[in-house]
Amino acid sequence: MHITVKCYATLQRFQPEDGEEFSPPGGGTVHDVVLALGIAPEDVAVIFVNGLHAPMDKALAEGDRLGLFPAVGGG
Amino acid sequence: MPDAAHARPKATLFLKDISMGSSDMLRQALERAAVPGVLSDGTPVRMLAHGAAAAIARQSGASLRQAEIAALELGLVPERYLRNFATLDCAGQARLLRARVALVGLGGLGGHILEGLARMGVGHIRIADHDVFEATNLNRQLLATQAELGMPKADAAARRVAQVNPAVELDVWRDRLEGQDFARFYAGVDVAVDALGGVAFRPVAEAGAAAAGAPLIAASVAGWTAMVATALPGERGLAGTFFPNGRSAATPAEDVLGCQPPALLVAAGLVLSEAVRLALGQPPRLGGPHGRMAVVDLSSVSLDRLSLRG
Repeated sequence: MHITVKCYATLQRFQPEDGEEFSPPGGGTVHDVVLALGIAPEDVAVIFVNGLHAPMDKALAEGDRLGLFPAVGGG
Repeated sequence: MPDAAHARPKATLFLKDISMGSSDMLRQALERAAVPGVLSDGTPVRMLAHGAAAAIARQSGASLRQAEIAALELGLVPERYLRNFATLDCAGQARLLRARVALVGLGGLGGHILEGLARMGVGHIRIADHDVFEATNLNRQLLATQAELGMPKADAAARRVAQVNPAVELDVWRDRLEGQDFARFYAGVDVAVDALGGVAFRPVAEAGAAAAGAPLIAASVAGWTAMVATALPGERGLAGTFFPNGRSAATPAEDVLGCQPPALLVAAGLVLSEAVRLALGQPPRLGGPHGRMAVVDLSSVSLDRLSLRG
């Protein structure tokens, strides 16, 4: 399975180099991908899959676009 | 202002002398003051030279905002708004001058948003900030100058708006807003804006806008990331999505990355475009049934549109 991954703001340091064609090594949920990237799940505040707000246990499918956000509230 | 002080009694006499409706008098004075102008593309318009609307307002007893609306309804463009055309037309500019926007937070986001609202010609702006300027504000906050350190942000905002566009009727709230205060603050406005810095009060601001029945445009920034979303009353907005328990579970990204002008200015521009759309009665593009949040990442120069509806 290949997905697109984009990590924002403080999570950007976990952005995989192959983010456009990322192959999650483990299982197929958002949680699995988060762990595979080395991100602590509690540091992920908001998840989007294919542009839609999604939960951590969302199952991913071939070609899905995953966006991971930390808490952001500055101004 | 000494001019106003001696112009006003004369205007009163004039009104009594001719026993004519003051709005008719205002319109006639505006028509007499009209001069030919041109838009940048050469399109001819009828214009009021800068200062003419203010002088006529003083003489007629109308507010500057009312005088500008009356001018626009006659097809006369006050010179200060000439570059708002033809993105706006006379009806649109008059509608902005009648619009009511409430903005909480006069820091990194709020200073730039307020500046834009005033320059566009939004007629009623309610602002709130209880804070004073600190040296750490100087890297990004439009209203923060060295001379203002230790001074209230709300006072600097009021002075700035008066200098930029005195037609704006500003309602300044200087107390810290908490809980139910937000519903009062956002009551009766066309557009509510959350430009708060930090997480603490964003959830209650979102609840307050919903209680007031006002669409809320919220922006937040960390480092090179800017995000803006609109929540119509009853919808989940930025705060409800990012802080569903009313607070942040982890250290928020801005505490690590700080806040800098590039992302703040992008966010302020997104807020302003949405605020103008809503003030003109157009549907939101950053929320609502057909809109989506905008996230700009300036490190990769990407724009993502994401739905908070799930």
